[in-house]
Amino acid sequence: MQRSDTTISVAHFGIRFRPIRLAELSMLAFLAVTMGLPLFFLLIGSFNLAPPGKPAVYGLDNWVRAFSDPGTLSALWTSFLLSMVRLIPAMFFSVLFAWLIARTDMPGGKAVESFCWIAYFVPDFPLTLAWILLLDPNFGFLNTLAKSLPFIDGPLFNPYSFWGIVWVHTSAGGIWFKVMLLVPIFRRLGASLEEAARVSGANTAAMLRRITLPVLSPMILAVSVLSFIRGLQSFNTELLLGTPARIYVYSTRIYDYLQREPRAYGEATALGSMFLVALAVLLFCYWKYLSGERKFTVVTGQGYSTMRVKLGKWRYVALGVCVLYLAVMMILPLLFLVIGSFMRRYGFFNIASPFTLVHWQNLFADAIFLEALKNSLIIASVTAVGGILLYSAVAYLLVSRRAITAPLLESFCWVPHVLPGILLSLGVLWLFLSTPLRSVLYGTVWGIALALILADSPVTTQAFKAGLLQLGPDLEEAARVSGASWAQTYRRVLLPLLAPIAAAVGLMNFGSALTSISTPVLLYSHQSRPLSILLLEYSFTGELERGAALGLLITVIIGLMMVVGRKFGLRLSGSD
Amino acid sequence: MARSLRIGWFILLSLWVNGLASAQTKGSDKEWQEILNAAKQEGKVVVAGSPDPVMRNEIIPKFTARTGVAVEFIAGRSSQIVSRVETERSAGIYSVDVFLAGPDTTAIDLYGNKMIDPLKPLLMLPEVVDGTKWKTGKVWFVDPDERFVVRPFSSVATLLFINTDYVKPEEMRSYRDLLNPKWRGKISTEEPTTTGAGANMAARFYTQVGEEFVKALYIDQKPTPTRERRQMSDWLARGTQPICLNCREDDVRPLVKDGFKILEIFELVGLPGTTNGSPWLLSLANKAPHPKAAQVFANWILSKEGLETYARGYGSATLRTDISESYLNPGNLPKTGVKYFDDTDWKWIVTGRHESREKVWKLLKTR
Repeated sequence: MQRSDTTISVAHFGIRFRPIRLAELSMLAFLAVTMGLPLFFLLIGSFNLAPPGKPAVYGLDNWVRAFSDPGTLSALWTSFLLSMVRLIPAMFFSVLFAWLIARTDMPGGKAVESFCWIAYFVPDFPLTLAWILLLDPNFGFLNTLAKSLPFIDGPLFNPYSFWGIVWVHTSAGGIWFKVMLLVPIFRRLGASLEEAARVSGANTAAMLRRITLPVLSPMILAVSVLSFIRGLQSFNTELLLGTPARIYVYSTRIYDYLQREPRAYGEATALGSMFLVALAVLLFCYWKYLSGERKFTVVTGQGYSTMRVKLGKWRYVALGVCVLYLAVMMILPLLFLVIGSFMRRYGFFNIASPFTLVHWQNLFADAIFLEALKNSLIIASVTAVGGILLYSAVAYLLVSRRAITAPLLESFCWVPHVLPGILLSLGVLWLFLSTPLRSVLYGTVWGIALALILADSPVTTQAFKAGLLQLGPDLEEAARVSGASWAQTYRRVLLPLLAPIAAAVGLMNFGSALTSISTPVLLYSHQSRPLSILLLEYSFTGELERGAALGLLITVIIGLMMVVGRKFGLRLSGSD
Repeated sequence: MARSLRIGWFILLSLWVNGLASAQTKGSDKEWQEILNAAKQEGKVVVAGSPDPVMRNEIIPKFTARTGVAVEFIAGRSSQIVSRVETERSAGIYSVDVFLAGPDTTAIDLYGNKMIDPLKPLLMLPEVVDGTKWKTGKVWFVDPDERFVVRPFSSVATLLFINTDYVKPEEMRSYRDLLNPKWRGKISTEEPTTTGAGANMAARFYTQVGEEFVKALYIDQKPTPTRERRQMSDWLARGTQPICLNCREDDVRPLVKDGFKILEIFELVGLPGTTNGSPWLLSLANKAPHPKAAQVFANWILSKEGLETYARGYGSATLRTDISESYLNPGNLPKTGVKYFDDTDWKWIVTGRHESREKVWKLLKTR
């Protein structure tokens, strides 16, 4: 990418900045304040031994207490095992799905992709309950069905087990998130390399192994790191399925410290620091890999083509595999979830008149529903657009190889993935209250949107970064040589090429903003209460059925946005 | 003559006392009206508490209609609310006027960290300050200073629920019946190793019956723990865990209506009944942004109308004498002359429960 010779001078200090350096330093300052400061203060706070509200006394006791508890290490090991075990099949299936959708002539690819999107945003809590209805050893639908077979005596499935948790995770979020991130990257892979492999006599499997996967490895690795850390932090499913089986995970222990009276932030942050260590190790390996001799550029100015691999008769087999996976892992529990929202009591088919519309009626009749819906749509839209603008710029700086502070910039972007949601929220709350902008940020939809934009930084930055890594420098250079300004180059060349990724992460962030609870919970006010807080209230008060109805409604909203967003993204990219 | 004079003086004195009282009432009315006007000028009152459909659907509309003051309800888990308020305060922001919080949060965080103001001098509605309207002879301030925290509810707490299709009532008479090997794996409890109702109950058992019982019940009987309240009531109805230690009455009530044979048990032989102040204790934030509106809210919520609305919606027994209790399960009403273990007792909350809970947690680590 061509260097700009334009400089901006700060006359009083005799300092000269190129615009890109100025952008880099501004970005660094912004991320240092918004991501670094909360992390720094939380870490300092972990050494504070005084109870909340009392003058600080510093020491190591919180760390010693947190890590000397025998349950901590076993919970950490369980979390590691769970995260690792479910990562391997999930990565296999998500790469396979993304390849089939984006790189082959499998029929119905777009429909399969749409289902993956919808599946990702189905709320995990009611979905886990749906799996309990299907798999419970005593009353589960599938176990009851299995018991009717002559050669089966006891229950076949048990969701309250290690493998039960792995299974439900694979259904609730296992591959959908990864497919969403991988498809745009696979789609952009130029076919010239694959065609060359074909000409050299490679079959499809060899081409995948030797060409496609290595070239796309930055995103596959980034998604793996993201998923592994998310797996370590995973919480809801383990709480519901693990507790009855006494399977305790690391994030549950952090949660427990935060629920104590008085709250033990020190111990919680000390435990949370393990995520920092895990992330540092993984990032080091990732950077080493990227900084090697390998090249990941797939879109250049020369002979770019996106021809798809022809699967022949296997195209229907591939579709069958996808449909079967979707049917078992998503449609089956989703069906139970939809039915559940119309039941007087979720999962109780044997009571008199089990079906009702009352939960939907109550939802729409809730006095604050419309206000919350309006707030949520504003928050989600601002989050989606803001995230795209901010992190595409950050990713550009990271990839351009001109940023001298790239490792620091990238580290800040990972911070939200290191902190448990509620601790991040606390850090952001502290940050908002300490700035002169607090009247604009605290308790308003704008503040919640900014907090959510910050929370989205790891996924969004990595997605853009992987996308930009695929672009050859000649594209930008050609535009510059033809007299285009940087802005024109960005609008006419980079943006269309990045549009599918922007649409994907924008929609993902839109959906996350609608469903996120831990980020807005400390920041909302009566006027800015979003739908997710309503969902929290329904869950807290045991109104599971109304919660299921609201969860489904949120999924429908995201589904509609997906249709609009995909059309917009594809139009920008000129693909459709 | 002297007798007539005495009668005359008595009549005059009576008229004077009556007049004084009437003037005082009028004075109070005037004062109340002034406070109400000031509250209306403040425009709103900010109340923080647990997510609660009764609050949102009944209390807020009724209070606003009655006083013309809007209510902003900040709902969340106690720990989240307190974290938020503490952080706000460290930045010099005071946004909350009224706390409707549980006993732990109120005693340890709000009172312990001096986040609340005396409420006693602000109570002024005649029906609130009139001692005859309260079973305790006066408004019950439960804090050590007896002026910060009001406890308006006292119900007998459910000890456990059983599904009588699986557990006959005669099989559950004494606390030792819980240890019957027949019920191994058949008891559900809220997770006892973390803060919450499960740990509170285990701490109470530890204090009331002793360590051996806790060990036998929570370790040998292999109860099924959960952190999701609906899971327990579902298990109870389906009979997979037909004995439930921490089911919530409002979760079980619909099951009974649907014909499930569920029995609520309040005490067992050897394990006397317990009272508590659920759903909340009332306190007013110091440096409140809307102090007059907070005062109006506190007076109204303790009035017959306010408390009755809440108690009927929630299913708790109030301490007021003028609220009909026909809507309650008779078992929830404390019986005269019976000594109950008070689970909302201040000293128990601040020290006793905490110590017992720590001992229980240490014990359960051996599981």
